[in-house]
Order: sequence, then structure tokens, then C-alpha cells
Amino acid sequence: MEVFLTTLQAVMDNLGATVVLPIIIFFVALIMGAKPGKAFRAGVTIGIAFIGINLVIGLMWSSLSGVAQAMVTNWNIQRDVVDVGWPSAAAIAFGTDVGLWVIPIAIIVNLLLLVFKVTKTLNIDIWNYWHFAFIGSMVYMVSQNLAYGLIAAAIASALGLFLADWTAKAVQKFYNLPGISIPHLATAPGVPFAIFTNWLIDRIPGVRDWKVDPDTIQKRFGVFGEPVIMGLVIGLVLGVMGYYNADQAAVLILQTGMNLAAVMLLLPRMVQILMEGLIPVSEAARDFMKKRASDREIYIGLDSAILIGHPAAISSSLVLVPIVILLSIILPGNRVLLFADLAIIPFIVALFAPLMNGNIFRMIVAGMLELGVGFYIATSTAPLFTAAAQNAGFVMPEGASQITSIGDGFLWPQLLFTKAVDTLGVFGLVLVAALLVVVWALYAKNPTKWERIAGAPEE
Amino acid sequence: MDTPKRILVACGTAIATSTVVAKGIEEALKERGISSVMIRQCKASEVRSLVDGVNLIVTTTPVPTDLNVPVIQTLAFLTGIGKEEVIEQIIEALKD
Repeated sequence: MEVFLTTLQAVMDNLGATVVLPIIIFFVALIMGAKPGKAFRAGVTIGIAFIGINLVIGLMWSSLSGVAQAMVTNWNIQRDVVDVGWPSAAAIAFGTDVGLWVIPIAIIVNLLLLVFKVTKTLNIDIWNYWHFAFIGSMVYMVSQNLAYGLIAAAIASALGLFLADWTAKAVQKFYNLPGISIPHLATAPGVPFAIFTNWLIDRIPGVRDWKVDPDTIQKRFGVFGEPVIMGLVIGLVLGVMGYYNADQAAVLILQTGMNLAAVMLLLPRMVQILMEGLIPVSEAARDFMKKRASDREIYIGLDSAILIGHPAAISSSLVLVPIVILLSIILPGNRVLLFADLAIIPFIVALFAPLMNGNIFRMIVAGMLELGVGFYIATSTAPLFTAAAQNAGFVMPEGASQITSIGDGFLWPQLLFTKAVDTLGVFGLVLVAALLVVVWALYAKNPTKWERIAGAPEE
Repeated sequence: MDTPKRILVACGTAIATSTVVAKGIEEALKERGISSVMIRQCKASEVRSLVDGVNLIVTTTPVPTDLNVPVIQTLAFLTGIGKEEVIEQIIEALKD
């Protein structure tokens, strides 16, 4: 197995994700039962998406790292960890050696846990298996051991199922989605922050009654919901900060603004292509899993994108955008330059809503906590993130700045996994798995109580 | 030739679930020989600014209800359950 994996790795490193991923996707789709023509088209489309994403990341990179360097010289603010956004993170995660195997691995884990009645969730949201691949890739980078990375991805997929089960009742009730759960590792990790924030605010007289109205916020902060305008404005501001004293300052500033506005429109388009390529695979995988899942009541695990339209999620993220930009500047020790992932904030707050009854004030506070901590998590794991990107074949200039993204570079699961493996090696994986087993057992012992903590209504 | 009908497909990101829905609608309409349809994806927070001239909104997540455009909110394209009925609804909504 070891020899097989090493040889395979050598071949893949030479070919790169744009060639290898199409081949793998073709076979995965075939095995899942997709028609050969569709499977082939899926593979090619995914390869194209990788080429497209690489182009746009290159554009973003050259614009942002120049600004970042200028800011160090001008202001002595070291913000050299560039936020490349979750679309890039997803592409990186699927493109690493771990990402290539994540789909079959997570499907097997899910089917086993269903058969043994550990979980109720059937995670058909194949696209978001990238979160598991991401954690696996980070572990692979820290340990330089592919097997550890694959095991970490398997554990992460189980973690997603646990969080989905735990929050299912709350989601179903608050968002009115019967039979649905959310095994999404950018959203579910926020629940502990929401629990803590509620606990804290309930102890402050006066503040505990504060509420904010979503409609006024949407009207006043609406522009923060439009990525292109946001990209332009941020680009111009960064441009001014970086280049106000340069030769031809106006040209450089305007170019930075336009380039970053372009990134905000183009990057999601490129990732749409990746998604499009994955559809035949995910539909085949969905049917494959459904056929093999038992008849008892199961939850269908879906993307938290279905929650994001809720006014509470939109409004609280609109307010959080300027707040986190401010945090990124004032937090001491932070090195992250926020940019592409300002658009992911609705995902971070979506599962706060059931716990907080849609109270936007509280959601904003919990979001500030989670993202505030996130700056430090991201700063510390950026070298691994950058290494993972290189492993996936993305072009990173030697010695230039590092990269991260809010999803999932800011979130605690990847820190937990990488720290555990970094300090304890393989026992780190055992420890994380054991922790998950214990928490899951506690939940299984008294599910109703746990579900209420996560925001499920009293029956 | 008729002016093409315009469908706006919305989700949280304009990337993930809305791509599944947009491709699903495109394929289903093609199978039925309906080709004069333009589909555009967007984020739920952008619906209000993109709604002008749109004949139908299909969404996986809640969108505002005061838009004067028919809205179909559905998970059928994601779960595969009830997909045919939703496609019929979409065709019906595009007729007039």
C-alpha cells in the first residue's frame, strides 16, 4: 500500500491536478454508475475549471501581494497572508493528493455510519466534501504522510455527520426544512460560539434584550452584499494605502481596484465550472448512496447555501463585513489581509440563527468572536495552506506571501487536526477520533437535551 | 421568434446549489424542446437588484416575497425527490 501510494503520488506530482483530477473523476463517476459520456465530460470540465481558477488566482495574487508588500513599507502593517477565498480553498482541497480520494472515502464512512445506525444523515452534498479534503490536505502537509491525511479526511467527514445530526432539529424547525440536515464544515463549527455568546449575553442586564431589525440593515448595508462593488471599493482603498506615494499612483490604484473587482466576479464563475463538472459525479453518488441506505428515517444532508437567503443570515453578515475588515487591521499579531472571502460570512453565521431566534445583534457578536479567533488560527496555519496549494498544482511564487481563506482557514476543526497530528503524530489522529466518539456517545445518550442546546425548540 | 423567457436561479453563493438547479432546468427544458430560455445564477442577496425583466425565480433558499415575479423555492434538484413535479411547475410558470 505504502509503495503503491508513493508511486501514485510521484506520477500525480508530475502530471498536476489539471490532468490527474479529470482522470480520477472519470473513473469515480463510472464506478458510481454514471454513463461513460457524461463521466468523460465531467472529468474534462473539472480540468478546465482548474485552469480557469489558476488564472484568476494569478490575477488576484499579483494585485494583492504587491499591495501587501507596499503596505509593509508604507505603514509597517504586516498583512502578508492573503485571503484567496473559499472557492480557491475548495479547488486546492480537491486538487491535493488527499482530495483525489475524498469522495469514495467520505461515501464509505457515511454508509458505514448509517448501517450501524450511528448517524441519521445521508450526506449527498458531494461538492462540500472539499471541507473534509481540506482538513485531510492540511494534515498531509503537516505530517508529510498521505495515509494520515486520508484518515484525517475520513474523521472530518464523520465530524460533519455528527454536527449535522446534532443541529438537524434546530435547522428543520427554524428554516422550515423537514428532513434536511447540514453536514457543512464551514457552518456547523460556529455552533459552539453561538452557545457561548448566548450564555454570555443572557448574563448582561439590558444588553440581553437588544434586538436589531433585518430590513433596515439590508437597506443600509446592501452594497456589502454585492461582491463586485465590494471588490472595487476594497481594491481602491488598498491601492491608496499601498501606492499613494508611488510613481503613477493613480494608475496603480485604479488598476488594483479594477483587478480586484474582476476577481470578485471571475473567481465564482470559474468555481461554477468546477461545480458543473461535479454534477454528474454527485448525482451518481447520490443515487448510489440512496440505494444502499436503509429504509428507516434519514436526514438528507445538504449545503448550507440553502440557509443563506434567510434575512437574519444576510443582514448579520452585511454588518459583519465592515467589522471584520476593521478587526483585520486592528488585531495585533494578525497577518491576514482579508479580501475574497468576505462573501462567505453568511455561511459562518447561518447556524447561529436557530439558537438566537434570528436575533441579529447576537449573531453579529458571535460572528465577531468566531472570526476574531479565526484571524489567529489562519495566521498560524497559513504555511500549511500555502503548501497544500502548491501540492494541488497552483502556482505560488517562491518566497512570496502566504495564503489562507475564511472558509476553512479561519475555523477551528483544521487547527484541531493539524495541531494534534503535529504534536502527537498518529496518536493525534487517534485522539481526535476518540474525542469525536466520546462527544457522539454523550449526544446519543441524551439527544433531546443536546439538540435543545443547539437551538431545537422545546416540544 | 419569441423573446426568450428569463429565469433567475438563486442560492446562497451563486456557485454551488444554484449551479445544480440551473443545469437541471436547462437539461429538462432541452429534453422537452424548449430552448428560448435564458438562465442566470445569482446570490440570494442580489435577487432584488437583478429582478428586472425576469419571468421566474427558482431558488433553494428564501428570497424576498414582494418582487411581483413568481418564485419557486425548491430542494428537488438537490435531493432528486419530486423533481418532475417542479419541472412541470417551472414550465407552467413560463407559459404566460
